[in-house]
Amino acid sequence: MQPAATEQGSETGGMRSKVTIFVISGVLIVAFCLLGWRLFYLQYSRADYYRDLSYRARHARVIETAQRGRMYDSSGPGGRLLAASNRILTVFMDPGLLADWDEKMEVAGILQPILGMSAPEICDIVEPRRNTRFVKLKAGITEQQHAAIKEAISRKENRLRGVAIQSSWERYYPMGRLTSTIIGVEGGNADENGPQKIGLTGLEQRYESLLRGTEGENILVVDKLRAPVGRDPSSTIAAKDGSSLVLTIDTTIQEFARSELLEQYKHYRAESAVAIVMDPWTGAILAMVSIPDYDPDKLSSTDPSALRNRALTDPYEPGSIFKPIVVAAALDQGIITRDELIYCEDGHWDQYRIGEWAGHRFGNLTVKEILAESSNIGMAKIGMKMGDRRLCEAVKMFGLGSKTQIDLPLEEAGQIWPLPWDKMCLTRVPYGHQINVTAIQMARAFCILANGGRCVWPHLVRAVIEPDGKVTELNRKTNLAGQVIEWIVREALTSVVNDGTGKEAAIEGYQVFGKTGTANIAGKGGYDEINYTSSFIGGAPADNPAVIVLVSIRRPDKSVDGKYSGGRVAAPVFKRILEKTMKYLETNGT
Amino acid sequence: MSRSRLIFIIFYLTAMLIGTVHLRVSKSRIYYRYSVTNVHREELKRMLGDRELRLEQLINPSAIQQEVGKSAASGDGARK
Repeated sequence: MQPAATEQGSETGGMRSKVTIFVISGVLIVAFCLLGWRLFYLQYSRADYYRDLSYRARHARVIETAQRGRMYDSSGPGGRLLAASNRILTVFMDPGLLADWDEKMEVAGILQPILGMSAPEICDIVEPRRNTRFVKLKAGITEQQHAAIKEAISRKENRLRGVAIQSSWERYYPMGRLTSTIIGVEGGNADENGPQKIGLTGLEQRYESLLRGTEGENILVVDKLRAPVGRDPSSTIAAKDGSSLVLTIDTTIQEFARSELLEQYKHYRAESAVAIVMDPWTGAILAMVSIPDYDPDKLSSTDPSALRNRALTDPYEPGSIFKPIVVAAALDQGIITRDELIYCEDGHWDQYRIGEWAGHRFGNLTVKEILAESSNIGMAKIGMKMGDRRLCEAVKMFGLGSKTQIDLPLEEAGQIWPLPWDKMCLTRVPYGHQINVTAIQMARAFCILANGGRCVWPHLVRAVIEPDGKVTELNRKTNLAGQVIEWIVREALTSVVNDGTGKEAAIEGYQVFGKTGTANIAGKGGYDEINYTSSFIGGAPADNPAVIVLVSIRRPDKSVDGKYSGGRVAAPVFKRILEKTMKYLETNGT
Repeated sequence: MSRSRLIFIIFYLTAMLIGTVHLRVSKSRIYYRYSVTNVHREELKRMLGDRELRLEQLINPSAIQQEVGKSAASGDGARK
């Protein structure tokens, strides 16, 4: 029996080993399956995530902001700089790297003599934001301060800890107020997904896409302390700087216009004033002044209304400076002739309640005399002869009542009443009432008069310079608006300056042409005898106009010296701007 | 494998290892020098831009006009 028992025992042991082997194999197979599944999960399903994690651990991404394009005046690169970006250095502290208050005081003590700020002052800036990792201490430090901080950071004893220097772009406007209402400003972007700073007004806003450039990206290979040890050139995208602009503005003429206008604006305690100097043949704006203006460096304390460029945002009733446009159209259409006599109702046209300015009384006047004496009744009669449809068409032909498409934002179109016009409207529009236009529209209309009928587009940017230096001149189209009679400029408008209401605009050595305008400003109760817009528009020389100058001064204080008319308030400014500009252009040979 | 051949292989592998390490260190050093030069170049550009802007502020027509006005006023004062 014993051998049988032994055999049975060995059979049981064999079974046990088999079970053990089977179990272990099973466990191993399951373990390997799980491992395989895990490997599959890690290597295949989550591959992108871990690859990215690993890549990010070994690399650092640094955004390189592009340098915003510059703006130059009409002399181009190498000429006067109107706007430019430069890097500024900002000292900041990372409070997270400083253990306690004593350490912060120690760091503040080191910074005190360098930044010229007391240690408690530095601590007062840091303490309320101690839980953040970036506390700005001072922006725009000098080269000496920069060197001193670098030395303090790198020295071995009494080392400056938790402090670093950040470099960022800052926009500068070297001309200050002189060109502020044209250039505009750059500021913070409300859109969090967009760039940090964008152009907010003026050319900065209009040419944002050209000036901004594109951001670059540097991928750096970093060590375990995140210190860069190399660069991954395959993933690096270089920043592309913004394009620069060459403007049509000549800063010397701009200064002539601004200083003269500002003087008169202050003298007459006016509400606002604008002046435009334009090339009548191309539509290039040589100077454009809007007062009140602002200092771009003190934007936070600026009255928002000063940010407006009133030459294109504030439509107004132009008054008598509008008359030459109506006369040109009437002559052009053959509705009146140069020698035709028009009866001016002896100063009062009771039927339509129209009088002459300053109580003048006129009988029969020719068209030339109507312009020279600025007769409202004569103009009203010309308007009646034209009829509302033809008058409206003529006004629109000169680009009035619609945007000029100048390359500045916020331009207003003005207002022309829809047809049909009643008799009151028909008799008022010819002398510049019951119609709202902007100063830039008026200047453009006079350019059309001066150049014989070619429609020009007012513009401020002459050329674009790519970051690689390639210059693209912008060609502006000109269209023939109509056959405008040159006689208006050479004869009728010169007589305004020689014998009429604009004598104060005459310049020795040049035949000046132009027209005065004194428009009542409509208030709540209608027009009054206190509030006026005094204007003068014209140019020189009459036989081949080089420039058109417009000056409009809104609400000059009549109580200063009793003067308020365009001929007394605006014409002297016009004269001084034109005189200086002509001499300057002659000297420059342009 | 003969002894000399083994020594040669070990020597060769060691030299390659040292060479690789040297190249890596050189790359880092050159990158560091490149970065320092780049920072220095940016710093010089910044300083140049700063001076250019300051000059523009000094020679802008308004500033010149003001200076002329001031010197004319002080000249008048001196004459009086």
